Amino acid sequence: MRVRFWGVRGSLPVPGMKTERYGGNTSCVEVRSASGTRVVVDAGTGIRKLGKELSQGDAEGSTNHVHLLISHTHWDHIQGLPFFSPLYQRGNSLHVYARKRDDLHLRAVFASQTDDPYFPIPFDEAKADIAFRELMDSAEFEISDVRVACARLNHPYIATAYRLSVDGASVVYVSDTAPFSDILFEDQFIARPPSAGAELPKADRDKLAAMRQGVARLCDGADLVIYDTMFTPEDYRRLPHYGHSRPSDAIEICREAGARQLALFHHAPERSDAEVDTILADAQALVTREKIPLEVVAAYEGMDLTLGRE
Amino acid sequence: MIELTFWGVRGSIPAPGPGTVRYGGNTSCVSLRTADGRLIVLDCGTGARNLGMSLLDGPFGRGQGQASILLSHAHWDHIQGFPFFVPLYIAGNAFNIFGGGKSSSMLEGILEGQMAPQYFPVQTLKNMGATIEIVAVAEGTPFSVEGCRVVARTNPHGRSGALAFRIESEGRSVVYASDAGYASSGPPEPSIDLYRGADLLIHDSTYTPEDRRRYPERGFSSIEDAVLCAARARVKKLVLFHYDQDYSDADVDALCARGRRLLDAQGARDIEIVGGAEGTTLRL
Repeated sequence: MRVRFWGVRGSLPVPGMKTERYGGNTSCVEVRSASGTRVVVDAGTGIRKLGKELSQGDAEGSTNHVHLLISHTHWDHIQGLPFFSPLYQRGNSLHVYARKRDDLHLRAVFASQTDDPYFPIPFDEAKADIAFRELMDSAEFEISDVRVACARLNHPYIATAYRLSVDGASVVYVSDTAPFSDILFEDQFIARPPSAGAELPKADRDKLAAMRQGVARLCDGADLVIYDTMFTPEDYRRLPHYGHSRPSDAIEICREAGARQLALFHHAPERSDAEVDTILADAQALVTREKIPLEVVAAYEGMDLTLGRE
Repeated sequence: MIELTFWGVRGSIPAPGPGTVRYGGNTSCVSLRTADGRLIVLDCGTGARNLGMSLLDGPFGRGQGQASILLSHAHWDHIQGFPFFVPLYIAGNAFNIFGGGKSSSMLEGILEGQMAPQYFPVQTLKNMGATIEIVAVAEGTPFSVEGCRVVARTNPHGRSGALAFRIESEGRSVVYASDAGYASSGPPEPSIDLYRGADLLIHDSTYTPEDRRRYPERGFSSIEDAVLCAARARVKKLVLFHYDQDYSDADVDALCARGRRLLDAQGARDIEIVGGAEGTTLRL
């Protein structure tokens, strides 16, 4: 399978000289199996360039069939979709998958993004065939030759992690999530987060422990784990209630799961290329020091990995 | 002296990458400082994030800031930086937001829609901290913003419209006219009236004339439209703005050069032209 990174940034796109190397587009990762099944995880601004490639690269008259897994519907994970050009081409198809919610249908969440007055082209005018599939927290299903498994994450309004297995390899996408320790995120806004180190109610601790176990199991023996490591330890001390992890949290999960490679992902908008370099070097030093058999890389726009059989 | 700083000059969607570092890839946001230091923000594209950070050393960092935000319209590239404008999260700061819409509550609903829990963790404007007053403006009727006289008029923009603002302070005038897609008959007289004699016209220049013809339904101006407005309204300086997301720095350079030639051909050699660029400041 081939894994390509089209957007690696969190929160909002950050153009400019300081982000030239790792890239400023928000989250989007493409997984393509050897047989040609195309699964895209998240539709941040990075998906625009994937769309351009699909629309231009293919022969005249050919069509594109894309399966889009959405981790959650915060802006930085969906804001590129209205600019995904295959949507406006008849004969293409897009299947969108995301967690089922009690209060809102998935289609409504996407349709509202292009409602007047926010966007000039209403969702109904997209020419591709668009279908939605709502998922339970621990759903397992197949997209052609790709096996997909899900796990719930610890993020405001709840996010989903995905494991994709095909061609004898597995990649796991874990973004966005807080560590499973200091706060439990569900749907409600937390105005006064528990202070760092405070003991949580048992029910919360149990839920977090189950969630952590689910994520570790999802990463079991994975060839590549792509993990939200937006925070430095200093950021986390300041903002433990913002729903993002540190590299050390990702490394701990990968060690437990026996994963082979970790891609640091969802870089903070304020992070310069030089700072990402430093965070990567620190993470690599940590795995060396602890003798963890894990390769650590920092995801950058344009990163292109081949896993398993070609 | 009026001071204008460009924080985002891109249209439609932020365009990060090595090809856009000189003019910048952030979406629309311009700040205006009056002679007495008061602040007006024109649109809240992603450029607003950097503007917000730059304000934290001053009164906005201490919860003692006051500013007004003028919104041309609510397409994403003009409001998507709003949730990332940090001074809005500091209690004590006060913002007046002016924009279009049939009523103030409708405009508030539009801004609330962006903050809704499925899209953004803050969930509502009410969790932001600063005092926010939202006002729908009446077209054509002058109103006062941070001591300046402001007039707003709707330009056609695809199927909808976008407000253009004329801001006057101490005998100087600045017009902000982003997202203007005039009919093939050219800019209507009320738009030219709004721009007339301005010291500075910041005008939508999304496209080359060729791209404009390719995408007429998108409701944006070409460099030709921008030049025509500047020449007809006899403005002193034209600032190009809201470049297409696929235009590289070299493309924008070419757009500027073409604008100069078009102005000269119109017999408007005295009108200055400059390409709006992220991080630059113009003084009047």
